[in-house]
Amino acid sequence: MDFSLTDDQQLLVETARQILTNECPPRLLRAHLDDRSEYAPLWQHTRGFAELGRGDCTDLCLFLDELGFVAAPGPFLATTLFAALLEELDADTALRDAVAAGEVTGSVAVAGRSGVWEPNDDLVKSFVLDADAVDHLAVVSATTGTESGVVVTLLPNPGARALRAIETVDTTRRLFEWDTGDEIGAAIPCSSDAWRAFADRAHVMVAAELVGAARRCFTMALAYAKEREQFGRPIGSFQAIQHKLAEMSLVLERATAAVHYAAMTVDARDPDRTRACHVAKAAAGAAARRNLVDSIQIHGGIGYTWEHDLHLFLRRATGTEYLFGASSWHHDRLADLLFG
Amino acid sequence: MQLNWGDDDERFRAELAAFLDEHAPAEAAAGFDFQGEAGGDGGIVPWLRDWQATLFDHGWMIPGYPPELGGRDCTPAQTLIYLEELARRRIPRASHFPGYAIVAPSLLEYGNEEQRRLVPAAIRGDTIWCIGMSEPNAGSDLAALRTRAERRDDVFVVNGQKVWTSYAMVASKCFCYVRTDPDAAKHRGISLLIVDMDTPGIEVRPLTHITGQADFAEVFFTDVEVPVGNLVGPLNGGWALTQGSLAHERAGLWVDGVARLDQTVRALVDLAKRTGKDTDPGVRRAIAAMDEQASSLRSLGYKGFASFAQGSSAPEHSYMKMASSEAGKASYELGMELLGAYGAVTDAELGEEAGRWVTNFYVSFANTIAGGSSEIQRNIIAQRVLGLPRGV
Ligand SMILES: Cc1cc2nc3c(=O)[nH]c(=O)nc-3n(C[C@H](O)[C@H](O)[C@H](O)COP(=O)(O)OP(=O)(O)OC[C@H]3O[C@@H](n4cnc5c(N)ncnc54)[C@H](O)[C@@H]3O)c2cc1C
Repeated sequence: MDFSLTDDQQLLVETARQILTNECPPRLLRAHLDDRSEYAPLWQHTRGFAELGRGDCTDLCLFLDELGFVAAPGPFLATTLFAALLEELDADTALRDAVAAGEVTGSVAVAGRSGVWEPNDDLVKSFVLDADAVDHLAVVSATTGTESGVVVTLLPNPGARALRAIETVDTTRRLFEWDTGDEIGAAIPCSSDAWRAFADRAHVMVAAELVGAARRCFTMALAYAKEREQFGRPIGSFQAIQHKLAEMSLVLERATAAVHYAAMTVDARDPDRTRACHVAKAAAGAAARRNLVDSIQIHGGIGYTWEHDLHLFLRRATGTEYLFGASSWHHDRLADLLFG
Repeated sequence: MQLNWGDDDERFRAELAAFLDEHAPAEAAAGFDFQGEAGGDGGIVPWLRDWQATLFDHGWMIPGYPPELGGRDCTPAQTLIYLEELARRRIPRASHFPGYAIVAPSLLEYGNEEQRRLVPAAIRGDTIWCIGMSEPNAGSDLAALRTRAERRDDVFVVNGQKVWTSYAMVASKCFCYVRTDPDAAKHRGISLLIVDMDTPGIEVRPLTHITGQADFAEVFFTDVEVPVGNLVGPLNGGWALTQGSLAHERAGLWVDGVARLDQTVRALVDLAKRTGKDTDPGVRRAIAAMDEQASSLRSLGYKGFASFAQGSSAPEHSYMKMASSEAGKASYELGMELLGAYGAVTDAELGEEAGRWVTNFYVSFANTIAGGSSEIQRNIIAQRVLGLPRGV
């Protein structure tokens, strides 16, 4: 059992941090508010990391955490989720290679209108990441025809379909709803094990990104507490602020550790992995909630303004908490496992 | 990052498991449930005392120490495995902790040759030690302690009072922090003395815990003469020694608290089933949220251990005590809630296991006070981990 980062992982984190700090400043997030194509130059940098999508989940999660920290727009999460599903399906080697090479993007449609990320027979697919801009879409559906009851349909160029953009508070992320009608063609059967493996990996991936966003809120609050003075001293010298930050960092640290553990169980195909991934997403949700609420409080009035950058990360954290199951949904799944 | 332990480590675990299978006392599980409240004289439980000696004799008491100190020179990772395995099997390790956990490492580091000769008996549990730190006016602010020790020829004459001193009623020796220079700044005038508890002038008055158990005491010192040879470390240099504990085990101190939390989660599941609340979505979620905490804290503990093993400072440790003690308290409270009207009932015929939940709830209060309260932990995290400026 070793939670320390290898030299390669350390290098990955440092490289990612450097590139993302330069290429994804808050300025880009603001430009993206008005023009959703502003992510394109950033994608030219992040696509170079697409190989991580079919590599070790630990490495991928370290990178996703950094992406969350800068609230990067663009199809990286969508594409690596797509890659994860393709790997589990063991389908279309050429496509998998192209995705890993960062040449082709993709996304996965799972949730129906009910907003539950489990195979379902709803003809409307909702909360689909970046559907307008990716090259391929994998649609997961429930069927009565197969052993597992799960099938996947691969469709090219989903942007050409009649998509409906879903507006959320998170202006850094693009979500869509699509009424598939009877457009879905031939489907590939997906075994229960393959679906489970994909879902586990997806949960910890989103958790990793969410922890990154929470960490950004925390980092900004901590820096502000050290620099803002009232009553002749830094507000960070007041115990009420200190104890808030201590609790914020605790929940953040335990979520980070939970993500690392879950990613390791995924890589090891450990029997504990489904549980660990639910824990990771729920803990990340707790970290996000706590840090976004209290980071605003610590900023006082300036944090409540559109002009200050904090709200960009607040939004990212809020939106991501609801992707691939809100914390309460993961608690329910955890309870199912605990209660047998 | 690597999920599994190495082969050497798994061999170590197997060896430990074989030892435990053969030697672990039958009473172990019950002792683990009500730790520190298992009954017995002044907190000392006879079978646990024997067990501590058995562990020592087989080199399993402090595995990181050499054989003559009850160990086997194992690695830090193996120490973690050791703590993990004991906790998983719910086997307590010692009948009284001050001797092996505080006195022994401090004497090994700061004691002279004669003082170091006290170490094996402290670890084996043959000598019962108590720790005299807290005083009526010096709790969290330990450096404010006032118990005076004045040099007179070859003795220190000690006058003052200690309080909340665990095991004082049964201890034969006290690790006693005293003020030797009243004019120096408060951290600079403190010294550490070894005081024999049967020295004339010492009076021990037991204090009863909120649970009804008498496990700690007030200790009064009136003109108590302590040989100067009993000074540990430098005169007026005692502050550094207040931080003493098993440094190489510090990275694993969380194991017990987290294991307890895990077990409480399982007990909560059983309780919910017994009380027919297992279909209540609110109850299920609350228990799952507790599991989320237990599980993520375990990961945080391992993460801290990894930084520790690499020799870097591990901020994770600062979080573990506070988080596991606070979560522990909340977990027992949840159990009481599930009991509904019976939450406070201790009547053995009517109450759930004779008030097991409410008793554990009360016992758990000590964990957020003793050894640095949760508030003090938050101060430490804020100032030492997050680098926030000290308040005024
Ligand atoms: C079961 C048990 C066993 C013990 N065994 C021993 C023993 O063997 N030997 C020994 O020497 N002592 C022992 N203690 C004493 C223990 O170390 C002290 O209780 C502890 O250090 C707190 O001190 P206090 O009780 O004086 O509380 P205080 O320090 O008076 O604290 C009271 C409250 O004020 C808060 N507070 C204090 N300072 C601050 C601050 N700076 N910022 C924010 N909040 C603050 C505390 O968190 C607490 O909530 C034991 C205590 C218990 C409960």
